[in-house]
Amino acid sequence: MDIINTVIDSTILNHTFQIWMSVLFTLMMLSFLFRDNPLYKLGENTFLGISLGYGWVQLWNITVVPFLVRPIKDAYLDFQPYDLTFIFWLLMGCTMFFRFSRNKAWVANYYFAFVFAYAAGYEIPVLVQALFIQGSNMMKPLFEQPSFFEISKWFVIIFGTFTALMYFFFSKPHKGLLGKTAKIGILILMINFGASFGATVMGRIALFIGRAQVLATNYEASIVLVILISIFLFVYFKFFHKEAQLDDEMMH
Amino acid sequence: MEKFVLILKKLDRRWIFLLIFLACIIPFWIPTLFQQKFSTSKETQRVYDIINSLDEGDPVFLDWAFDPTLQAELLPMVEQTIKQCFDKKLRVFIYYPYLTGIGLGENLLVNIKKEEKYKNMESGVDYIHLGYLPIGIDMMIFSMYSDFKSTFGKEGRIFKGIKTFADIKYMMSYAGSAHPESYLLLQRRFGFRMGAGVTAVIGPDFVPYLQTGQLDGMLFGLKGAAEYENLRINQGADKIKNSRANAGMASLTLSHLVMFLFIGLGNFVYFYERKYKKSN
Repeated sequence: MDIINTVIDSTILNHTFQIWMSVLFTLMMLSFLFRDNPLYKLGENTFLGISLGYGWVQLWNITVVPFLVRPIKDAYLDFQPYDLTFIFWLLMGCTMFFRFSRNKAWVANYYFAFVFAYAAGYEIPVLVQALFIQGSNMMKPLFEQPSFFEISKWFVIIFGTFTALMYFFFSKPHKGLLGKTAKIGILILMINFGASFGATVMGRIALFIGRAQVLATNYEASIVLVILISIFLFVYFKFFHKEAQLDDEMMH
Repeated sequence: MEKFVLILKKLDRRWIFLLIFLACIIPFWIPTLFQQKFSTSKETQRVYDIINSLDEGDPVFLDWAFDPTLQAELLPMVEQTIKQCFDKKLRVFIYYPYLTGIGLGENLLVNIKKEEKYKNMESGVDYIHLGYLPIGIDMMIFSMYSDFKSTFGKEGRIFKGIKTFADIKYMMSYAGSAHPESYLLLQRRFGFRMGAGVTAVIGPDFVPYLQTGQLDGMLFGLKGAAEYENLRINQGADKIKNSRANAGMASLTLSHLVMFLFIGLGNFVYFYERKYKKSN
């Protein structure tokens, strides 16, 4: 065991190794921007495998053991009537496996009935309440703070919502007043989509900046690995890669 | 002109990727060339002011609803909030609604404690990781309002004087999804005060909650994190150790300029072609 621990300490837990791996996997994933290749696939599958493995171990240690295994063990040693609830919910949870059978799939419906009933009973009243709070609070400024900006906001909310809804009103042809209202509606929708798109782009770039920071900080590793990956890609596409029928290049 | 338009039309998309890549990475190599100043939004200022107004020993609840995929935007926000809480000697409770965030949170606290100023911060006294609970936020809130400590099954001096969630003075939820809405749904019923730190993607969805007053303040994307850092730096925090988000701001600006350029060129090609076709 000591040998294994030493190997782990000097590889996976070694700081230099971690930095090089971080840079390598970042570059492997970015290599997809050039073209789909085995390095990208390796990086993608490694990420998925590690995420799933880590998630499972954490789930087992943090959820299953303290909330199910340990209480059932305790119940075995010192049984109390309320311990039956663990057994009951364990069995209810296990009914999910009946979904694998075509004939007995209905057994799982009882569990789903609990889940849906809880969700409907809890979510609907709370959501409606929250919607009313939001609606009423949103309109307050018109009466409380009569500034130009606050009043105009009120009008944008009311007429913006109305005109956007009119765009989706297809029972009458979009002509005359309805047509003009629908045109304003599409304008409002476009402004909204534009704002969301802008924010999304900013978010995506911000995510990349995190990776760029890693590459920039560890520039020795970045330069060495960029050269090695470039050589690999050149050799792979020159000598080993066979053109598929519908390649991304052809699509482009 | 036609030749130029033709070159632009046939431009390989990978040149654009390369330019964006360079725009993001160059500011990290030559930071002095890209120094910039920006104003602080009132939403960020409000979060800072609220935490600043709390008294020594007041408990603050942080909801860590993100994993490493969103750390570029959200980690600097949490880091600054925790440091501000430590400066004010507040008690910090960190809850993880997602399993994959726990390692990130523990790692951040280890790194914060490496700084001379925070080396004496003790788990269970000044802060505590409340861990993950396999229940929904709604059930957790009900449970916290029944008995805060036993909800998480943790021990420590930090719990002294806190019976229910009503004793928590302020809470912040950090997420890259609609997660903070789970708290907002029950806010009216229990009346707790909260702010949020969100990614730029999900940020616009939370603006109405600011207008209604359901959120006291909000940190919006990388810019929000950089503003928060600047607020702390202005109050005497070390600039070198608190510039994680600021370091990315120059990259963000430069990459946006590259994008503006290409959006402009794309529109130019489109309108030029339309005009050319009409005239023929």
